[in-house]
Amino acid sequence: MDYATSDHGDAAPLAVKILIAGGFGVGKTTLVGAVSEVAPLRTEEYLTHASVGVDDLEGVSGKSTTTVALDFGRITINSELVLYLFGTPGQERFWFMWNDLVNGAMGAVVLVDTRRLDVSFASIDFFESRGIPFVVGVNCFHGVRDRTQEEIRKALDLDPQVPLVLCDARDRTAGRDVLLALIDRLMAAHSQTAPHPVA
Amino acid sequence: MKHWTEGFDDDDADEPLVRPYTITGGRTSSERDDLTLITLVTAISAVSPETGHGLRRMQPEHRTILTLCRRPLAVAEVASALNLPVSVTKILIGDLIEADQMRARPPLAFAQAGGFPSVTILEAVRDGLRNL
Repeated sequence: MDYATSDHGDAAPLAVKILIAGGFGVGKTTLVGAVSEVAPLRTEEYLTHASVGVDDLEGVSGKSTTTVALDFGRITINSELVLYLFGTPGQERFWFMWNDLVNGAMGAVVLVDTRRLDVSFASIDFFESRGIPFVVGVNCFHGVRDRTQEEIRKALDLDPQVPLVLCDARDRTAGRDVLLALIDRLMAAHSQTAPHPVA
Repeated sequence: MKHWTEGFDDDDADEPLVRPYTITGGRTSSERDDLTLITLVTAISAVSPETGHGLRRMQPEHRTILTLCRRPLAVAEVASALNLPVSVTKILIGDLIEADQMRARPPLAFAQAGGFPSVTILEAVRDGLRNL
């Protein structure tokens, strides 16, 4: 790593992040809020993207700018390490292009709602295609468990290696356990592939 | 110091009185590529936010950032506190780093390097989560 351009002091801890993804209304911000040490913070970014097919006005530049907002939280692991949790914005086609949001993530949690599994398909596809490790958290709203884990796995066409965890996104312990499942998955990947560690 | 956005309703936040890029003097992107959402930035304590020497055109937002960052904060946290887009915040933070008033600690870049975080970091995160 090249830190030469930034004279970082010993005082600043190291930051890592995990993405909390899934379709609109699956409980991303709820999960962030349940485990974060601060109430979820909101920030926004301007994303410039080529307009696709619609409103194609001749002679007008093919780029437009969209504002996307995300909610995030923070967990201080110890004096040297801080974990940030970023709830990805609901509109996948925008946040998929937000490289700063995706780059450097340790991994991701894809939340699904069994009543609307399809809204989380795009997130699963995205992390699979980018090779970013993820786990699936099944948010059991109000204790509703109307499908078995096998049914959900089949419906999501989930790789057998991807852990699937039932949870209640409002519950701190349940939210924590989903994050722990991701860490376990990362540690397992570590021992299997013996990659070149970054640190 | 009272920030000019204090007292505004959240409903008004979408329609700022000052267009964000006015604050940056029209610059729309940072010249620095080492600032990410979770780069931790800290004010260099020897510098007083009130004097702000070294920076030719100090905006109120620059002073607010120096005050906020007496302890390390992620770029995303600074942007959230300022109620400004991340890209605008990065430009302002970049100004302060250039003027030797802040320092930045970039995160480890797992994704770009195609690697995994070290076992040491994973174990620390796991232990920290278990203590929640």
